[in-house]
Amino acid sequence: MNAIEIRNLTKTFGEKRAVDGLNMTVPQGAIYGFIGENGSGKSTTEKLICGLIRQSGGEIKLFGKNRDDPEVRSKIGVLIEAPGCFPNYTVWNNMKLQAANLGLKHEDEEIRRVLHLVRMDGAASNKFKNCSLGMKQRIGIAFALLGNPALLVLDEPINGLDADGMRIMREILTDLSKRGVTVLISSHILGELEKIATHYGIIRGGKMLKEMTAEQLNADCPTYVALKTDDMEKTRDILQRAFGRADMDEQTGEIRVYGVLAQDVAKYLFGNFGIAVSEIRTAKISLEEYYINLMQEGKK
Amino acid sequence: MNANVKNGDFGKRLKTMLKVDALRMFTMPTVWIMFGISLALPVVILVMTSFVGGGTGEGAMAFTNVWQAIGSAGGNATGMDLASMCNINLLYFLVMIFVCLFVGEDFRSGYSKNLFTVRSKKSDYVLSKTIVLFAAAAVMFLLYFLGAMIGGGIAGLSFDPSEVGGSAGGIFACMISKIFFVLVFVGIALTLSTVGKQKLWLSILCSLAAGMLLFTMIPMMTPLDAGGFQVVLCVLGGPLFALGLGAVSCVILRKTSLC
Repeated sequence: MNAIEIRNLTKTFGEKRAVDGLNMTVPQGAIYGFIGENGSGKSTTEKLICGLIRQSGGEIKLFGKNRDDPEVRSKIGVLIEAPGCFPNYTVWNNMKLQAANLGLKHEDEEIRRVLHLVRMDGAASNKFKNCSLGMKQRIGIAFALLGNPALLVLDEPINGLDADGMRIMREILTDLSKRGVTVLISSHILGELEKIATHYGIIRGGKMLKEMTAEQLNADCPTYVALKTDDMEKTRDILQRAFGRADMDEQTGEIRVYGVLAQDVAKYLFGNFGIAVSEIRTAKISLEEYYINLMQEGKK
Repeated sequence: MNANVKNGDFGKRLKTMLKVDALRMFTMPTVWIMFGISLALPVVILVMTSFVGGGTGEGAMAFTNVWQAIGSAGGNATGMDLASMCNINLLYFLVMIFVCLFVGEDFRSGYSKNLFTVRSKKSDYVLSKTIVLFAAAAVMFLLYFLGAMIGGGIAGLSFDPSEVGGSAGGIFACMISKIFFVLVFVGIALTLSTVGKQKLWLSILCSLAAGMLLFTMIPMMTPLDAGGFQVVLCVLGGPLFALGLGAVSCVILRKTSLC
């Protein structure tokens, strides 16, 4: 059974179609990286999944049941935009309210557990308004984790986190995924997403452009050899003739050759043409690069 | 993974929600400010209007009897004199403002987002809010009553209800009617707050406008010499009106964006 199944989802705001016939499948236990440009419909889709806004058309099923089923809703943990906390309340009191709303059996124990999970044990007595942005994000995650949800919907949860905060967030999400929790996470920090996501969905103009697993992404993002020589133009022509594809990377000023080993390229250039390689390395197309290419292709 | 969240039946859900709303309300500085205003307002009005006139001016003529601060017999107090304007009926506006502040904070803080994600029942929310806000409004009316006693005592006003066409029983019935009639105003402000959501100014402005339209109804429905008819009308009509508007609020919450 899939944790989320969306078919032909549509949401219009007046004339604007924010979500336009979106299809999406998130398997149980996946960390689903939801990627898209600003205004592409990510947050709207997440709000629709959580029932915070009503769809204009289409169907949303969570764990095989209707999204509005009370049993299903009690399994969702959400962090959308910012955690919904009262600024003048302490973190503990804010969490007490949410725990009471959820009808949790052992409220205090549960709050301590989730605060410990996000490494915020010491912040319980702080007023929410006095917490830093990073702390607020972690408190938001703690909120979402109350009651052991089976599905976490997180909108830009790593925004505003420092390097340590990002590491902690990675650890938390990976750990939750191992325990069977499904995580739907949207973020613009693709480098971080790439480290944890098991599935991806790329949205554009309210439509799902592509859905794939991390393995499929790996297959679509080949490794390449990046190199520099004294005569870049000549080298590129030679490599293009020899290996079929050699691209000039405008940003780094390197030539990229795909599907070859670095030592083979260096030997070939020096042995056959006397061209010495000044710099050479093996790299892999990142999610960010893949995403940018996909977006550019779409625009063309 | 099995979430350990209890869904519960209607009674349990409502009990939980009431607990949360009550906890929220009584930890909110605004409610204590409102209670303070409710207690101090009649004291200030009665004492000021008595002393400013020095016993001979217009101020002294405004209140001659302490029960004028509660209402007027026969519901005639719809004029523009001070006693008609500055009495307990002002609380209806204060209650509406408080409803807007309380409900508006749910939407402004994003708390409603957390709430409605895990709870699909908008009716629980509306019903719970109506009950706790009614309770707070009732406390405000009782505090105003107490404040009127204190203010009247300080200003040396007469406590004889017959001077203003009332009786002890009538005053009791008047207070019961006023307290239950506030449900009409709570219902209106709650509905308008669900429309305004984060836009607190919109909810307050619309609520006050609606309150002004209904203001002249208050003395008619809750006169100082109220009898069984007024009590029954307000005790039954108030909750029914609030329930009807609650249903409208639920529809608004279901059909509109919650964040």
